[in-house]
Amino acid sequence: MRKKRYKRKCGDFEVRVLADGRVVMLAPDEELLQVAGTLDPDNELLPPVKEKKKNAGK
Amino acid sequence: MNPVAHKEAGSRAEIAREALRECRLCPRHCGVDRTAGDTGYCRLDAGLRVYREVLYWGEEKELNPSHQVYFAGCNLRCEFCAVGEWNEEPQEEPKSDIEEIINAIERRKKEGARYLNLLGGEPAVNVCGIIELLGRLDVTTKVVWNSNMYYNTIVDELMAGLMDVCLADFKCGNNVCASRLLDSADYVEVVKENILRATRHSDVIVRCLVLPGHIDCCAVPILEWLAEEAGGAKVSLRGNYVPPAESKEAPLGYLSPSEFEKTQNLAKKLGLNLIQ
Repeated sequence: MRKKRYKRKCGDFEVRVLADGRVVMLAPDEELLQVAGTLDPDNELLPPVKEKKKNAGK
Repeated sequence: MNPVAHKEAGSRAEIAREALRECRLCPRHCGVDRTAGDTGYCRLDAGLRVYREVLYWGEEKELNPSHQVYFAGCNLRCEFCAVGEWNEEPQEEPKSDIEEIINAIERRKKEGARYLNLLGGEPAVNVCGIIELLGRLDVTTKVVWNSNMYYNTIVDELMAGLMDVCLADFKCGNNVCASRLLDSADYVEVVKENILRATRHSDVIVRCLVLPGHIDCCAVPILEWLAEEAGGAKVSLRGNYVPPAESKEAPLGYLSPSEFEKTQNLAKKLGLNLIQ
């Protein structure tokens, strides 16, 4: 019996790693785009890496 | 948005809602009463369902960053759809609160969004709710209509002046491929007509997703038509086809560099206004 295709939800990550080393992210949501931007910070098609807030505590 | 069209948003939304009573927004001509909860090919009633919104840098450069607002439901069945889950069963998504959408749009503007990018699914099958939404936004909001262009004239008439940029998909260059890959046997004529209509009121970017193995049958005739008939449109060639996990009809591999190069070379040779 054929299984019903899994339905992605926001927050799910679907990533393919191709034989030539490329990483493909399918229908990326905001979190996945942030991951991609962190992995490839010079890629202008990806969101800039969010700077972590400095700890103001002493 | 054009201020006159923006002022008419209320009356246009009423026309759109009336059209949903016997829906013929697209060439499927289902004729169902979506206001009564009936559904046709797109499986949508009259409700508006946004399943994702995100600030995005991956559109054409002149549109980045765009605020992508994804509407559930579509009137094509692309075998390679990357968001098919939300389009094949759109009513599994809860109806959206228009105030929440407006708040998200304002928030994304403050985060730097240059455009509000309406996509899906397919915005045309959500046109009633979209016009209601646009009427509530500041008239200075820049709107991208990111569409498969498979709709009837009424949608173009309703949206004229409410979009600043028409980002028009053109995927298949003949109806045999369109029938197999998109489930549409009249795709080519409809899309061509709507692209030409859109050039009369908006900036048009025709986005051609180059399909592996479909260069001669699809990419070539599309580019040749654009050169002959739609000279004013910008053209964006996309080489980022992602094969579906399984499919009887869709290409199951990725586009090869030589296929993309061949397509790019033809576009240049034809003198098309290529953008990235």
